[in-house]
Amino acid sequence: MRVLIVEDDQETADYICSSLRELGHVFEHAADGKSGFLSALDSDFDVMVIDRMLPGLDGLSLVKSIRGADVATPILFLSAMGGINDRVDGLEAGADDYLVKPFAFSELSARLAALARRPPMQSEETKLQIADLEVDLIRHTVVRAGVAIQLQPREFRLLVYLMRNVERVVTRTMLLEGVWEFHFDPKTNVVETHISRLRNKIDRPFDRPLIHTVRGSGYSMHA
Amino acid sequence: MHKPGRTSLRLSLQFAFLYAILTAVIFVGAYWFTNFEVRGWLRGQMVSDLAILTDIYEKNGKENLIQSVNIMAAVNFENSRILQLLADDGSILAGNINAVSEPFAEGYVPVDQIQIEGDHATEISGYWVSRNPIGPFVLVQGTGNHVIAEVLEALGLTLVAGFLLILALGALVGVWVGRLTEERIETISGTLEKVSAGVLSARVPTRGGANDDLSRVSVSINETLEKLENLVESQVQISNDIAHDLRTPLQRLRQRLEKMSNEKAVDPQSAAAALEQTEDIISTFNALLRIAQIEAGDRRERFQQTDLGKLVTNVYEAFEPSAEEVGQSIELDAPPVPVFVWGDPDLLMQLISNLVENALRHTPAGTAIRIAVSGAADSATFTISDNGPGISPVDRGKVFRRFYRGEKSRTSGGNGLGLSLCKAIAELHQATIRLKDNDPGLRIDIRFATNQK
Repeated sequence: MRVLIVEDDQETADYICSSLRELGHVFEHAADGKSGFLSALDSDFDVMVIDRMLPGLDGLSLVKSIRGADVATPILFLSAMGGINDRVDGLEAGADDYLVKPFAFSELSARLAALARRPPMQSEETKLQIADLEVDLIRHTVVRAGVAIQLQPREFRLLVYLMRNVERVVTRTMLLEGVWEFHFDPKTNVVETHISRLRNKIDRPFDRPLIHTVRGSGYSMHA
Repeated sequence: MHKPGRTSLRLSLQFAFLYAILTAVIFVGAYWFTNFEVRGWLRGQMVSDLAILTDIYEKNGKENLIQSVNIMAAVNFENSRILQLLADDGSILAGNINAVSEPFAEGYVPVDQIQIEGDHATEISGYWVSRNPIGPFVLVQGTGNHVIAEVLEALGLTLVAGFLLILALGALVGVWVGRLTEERIETISGTLEKVSAGVLSARVPTRGGANDDLSRVSVSINETLEKLENLVESQVQISNDIAHDLRTPLQRLRQRLEKMSNEKAVDPQSAAAALEQTEDIISTFNALLRIAQIEAGDRRERFQQTDLGKLVTNVYEAFEPSAEEVGQSIELDAPPVPVFVWGDPDLLMQLISNLVENALRHTPAGTAIRIAVSGAADSATFTISDNGPGISPVDRGKVFRRFYRGEKSRTSGGNGLGLSLCKAIAELHQATIRLKDNDPGLRIDIRFATNQK
């Protein structure tokens, strides 16, 4: 995937760039808001990473300008400002996701992947399917290998979130935000216990597991 | 520094000056008014005397008239009333006027142009004189102006005496009140000087019951100082907290990294442990920062109508499996209708979630935890109760302090910030937290007023 990185701190930029290169992604780096804006207009990126505090043009204004120029590329906002209003400000400006520094690269990479391959929203899907697992989004039913499975409401949401990100890594934080709307980090193993319950229902009785643990990162669902 | 008393003295002098001008105006006005009134009254008297004498002449004839004029001239007091009856040939028939110049009909005659039998009274400087015919005779009569002089003298004396008295009293009261006020202003500025010198606990002494301007100013100064002190205290607290809770893990991390740098190959396990330590430090740091930001109150602009019941249900669904896994149970009691509060959904979710986690962490297996939401006419309450070991009444006031851990819970993990974050969030929402004995166990009530915005 093609990634635009607008980040003025050289060390952070190098860290992101080299890690992306290792994963085989193509990237372009801009060190200030103005050149970041020009790059955002010029090339066709799959996703953009924009730092909140930039020389020249600050991150918020940059995102607003990019959206104002009708560029719909997904944007991930990166910020050292742990301010509790910053996330909302960033999303209101037009960013699609928000990550606070310091962060782990695995978190950034998982979020970028989720953003870049976000399914086009033109048609509302009514069914999701991986291998022999089928989810009906309208009727809220889950069937695997012809067997109906009963899920609790949160388990259902968790499964849908994982299936929408099929073959991608989903981190614990992404799940907390996406499934429970927790924008903080509970000390209890909320995600782990729910995954375990979900596995008991959709994986354990069948021959092949679909939910896989990605060590040090999170979970991934694939056949 | 200005000299105490200067302001009040100047005020008193200004007051006296104004009073003097006012007195002068009153005096001049009174003079004109008295002059006019007394003159009118005297003229009236002379007109009525003329009428009486005319009447006497017409009824009783010349002899009686002469007699009456002489009587009138004789009974007057201090020669203030003077009369003269002239025959048609100009000879004097009766009265006490010997000679008068200016034989006009009516007017003012200075005292030196008039001669009477006996002496002029000393207060008289002139007479109002009128000259009228009675039958074939002419009556000249006059009234001394000493009445006016005396009235004005009395008035002037009163006004001057009053002026002096008021001046003295005004100056005295002015200086006294000014002193009092200045003493209090001195106290206020002294307090503020102390505060700027670093004594943040200094307060302006306030007298109970007094409700004048300075008392109100003192009270609001004290309130401001209170807020200032709290703010500074929380700044200091945060610095202390950071030093307290971050120094030790940073030291450990540093040791580990030092050790790793001395080794030839990096042990992945050590690296993972170092990463984990870093994560812990970041999480503590974020928690501290979050508390500070919530306490600063800038989150309030994001407040919205929030269904407390929905949040609690969400938290229940998140933690119920974890509770079950360790042998605890969570029971949810939320009404089927929404219970709205005015607040920040993210923070309220964190508040509820922290309290649930706190209950899970500090109670043993087998504990039943109950979370409930209830709405009343003017309030909404979130309650979390358990039948665990509870908190001793002594500890109840302390649990919301940063980094506080009860004796029993020192080993049960957590950074000791969860409950102070709860307190900060509750305070931001102007909600009250009550810790009660659940007999056995602990019960925490968080009550939100719902009529506020």
